[in-house]
Amino acid sequence: MGHAALNRKFDRIRAREEAGLNKPQSGNRALRKLLSNPLAVAGLVIFAIILLASIFAPFLTPNDPQAINLRAMLNAPSAEHWFGTDRTGRDVFARVLYGGRVSILVGLGSALLAAVVGVGIGAYTGYRGGWLDTIALRVSEIFMSFPQIILVLLLVSIIGQSLINLIIIFVLTGWGSMYRMTRARMLSLREEEYVQALQSFGVPTVKICYKHILPNALGPIMVNITLTTAMFILAEAGLSFLGLGVPLSIPTWGNILNVAKDIRVLENNWWMWLPVGLVISLFVLSVNFIGDGLRDSTDPTLQG
Amino acid sequence: MLTFVIRRLLVTIPMLLVISFLVYLGLELTPGDAVSHMIDPESASRMSEEEFAALREALGLNKSFIQRYGIWLTNVVQGNFGHSLSGGVAISTIVFDRLPATLELSVFALVFSTIFGCILGTISALHRGSTTDSSLTVFGMIGVSIPEFFFGLVAILIFALHFDWLPVGGRLLPGYTSYFDHLPNIILPGLVLSMMMTAGVMRYSRSAMLDSLSREFIRTARSKGLPDWRINLVHGFRVALTPVVVLIGFRLPTLIGGSVIIEEVFQWPGIGSEFIEAVRGADYPLVMFIALLSVFAVLMASLIVDVLTALIDPRVRLN
Repeated sequence: MGHAALNRKFDRIRAREEAGLNKPQSGNRALRKLLSNPLAVAGLVIFAIILLASIFAPFLTPNDPQAINLRAMLNAPSAEHWFGTDRTGRDVFARVLYGGRVSILVGLGSALLAAVVGVGIGAYTGYRGGWLDTIALRVSEIFMSFPQIILVLLLVSIIGQSLINLIIIFVLTGWGSMYRMTRARMLSLREEEYVQALQSFGVPTVKICYKHILPNALGPIMVNITLTTAMFILAEAGLSFLGLGVPLSIPTWGNILNVAKDIRVLENNWWMWLPVGLVISLFVLSVNFIGDGLRDSTDPTLQG
Repeated sequence: MLTFVIRRLLVTIPMLLVISFLVYLGLELTPGDAVSHMIDPESASRMSEEEFAALREALGLNKSFIQRYGIWLTNVVQGNFGHSLSGGVAISTIVFDRLPATLELSVFALVFSTIFGCILGTISALHRGSTTDSSLTVFGMIGVSIPEFFFGLVAILIFALHFDWLPVGGRLLPGYTSYFDHLPNIILPGLVLSMMMTAGVMRYSRSAMLDSLSREFIRTARSKGLPDWRINLVHGFRVALTPVVVLIGFRLPTLIGGSVIIEEVFQWPGIGSEFIEAVRGADYPLVMFIALLSVFAVLMASLIVDVLTALIDPRVRLN
């Protein structure tokens, strides 16, 4: 483009700005990009609806998820019981709402904890290097040598079945990939000039790595957290389906869906498993949409 | 090349040893020992302390933990994998009984998902930004969002219970004798597992294809006046295949573990459903062996992937 052409172009842009057509954009660029992605917005909406419905379950249904009502066993959906009732007359809608609390807590909670552990270790050891880094890398390699489901089941058989144990197990199986990713980012970021400048000012190591470098790695970390959440929610459902997840006395999405193992229920009582299966799928889909949108909006290699 | 493989093997073996030790230690920490699993509570209440001690000694349980680990390891190296706690069947027998079923299912799914995923991914990349592309992407995401057992159950409901086209599951029903008699049995679990795996391959091959299509040699090929199909398939797809091969390599461990949950849903008598049984029944020797077998599969698969990438890309070898 010639000099004159370039000047004309700038003139046009300036004219548009003066006319107030090109509003200077405000807010976070990545957030704006996320909100302009229709799938990510749909994901955020579905995610919010299911999350809020679970949190405010007592306001949405008068029924107790654990109340057995032998007068209303295996009822099909009705105005009173939106998703019908199960074999002991418990309201399936209430169970799905309250079950969401536990399932989301396990999924999101474990993903966040795994991120704290993985990112915490990865940021420090990746920045410092040396023997600490070697040890952390070897330990993560040990955890990542197992196929995920096998490691989860192995740990279930070692530490036993309970809600807390399940979260511990998920953190143990999930921290490795967070650690790997953070470490890889730290290895490249620690060579940046601003880091050398901070070092020469004598800023403490911990402060450099957590306050000054880590924020630059937040994009991929957030993407990883969302995708891990999706994975853990599916894993909880799968484990509970096998009867090896959260103890059956606690309603979770997986435990509710567990009844579909019985072929008679599968054939005759669709309301006991279809709605909850759809809710799990929709929730995981929404989390995946958000994760994908976050990746597109934060990863500079995917721009354009 | 040979030194590269040997060097990688030298890293893999200590890794396996450390993992086997940790798993042994972990299972050691669980409550109860082999004796408490072998004897039902009723007869245990009638046994004296001396009898217990004698039994423990006979089984070598009075030896220290390190000694027992040493004995176990020597046995495994010599090909003696021990016995399952329930029924006392040799673990090697169980594995040899179950492995063919798992291999059958996983090879089916691996082949099907690779072919299907590559085709869909390539179509998606060639029509980037079109409705086809975005709907395929959305379908792929739906595919990875549905719990696999839920998908399996719906498939059973529709194809086996409602239309009665295919058997629900199982592998060799009584009365079936030849290998091909159970072909209908593998279709449902095989297709469900393939569908779940296709989404990943599709996504991967799409981005690999996009990457390859943006390279200079594509422009060169175009400037030579080659027909589009030749540019896309011969020049573009070939280069895109490399990362896809890597992805498939990392999927190889499913050949051992199978999809644990799919095997359970379809009552497929493979290693995966055996593992679940072992976990449920606290059959620790079996749990340990299958877990280590799957670790072995993962480590071997990553070795193969490394060798393949080294073959393709000489820069890796020199490092």
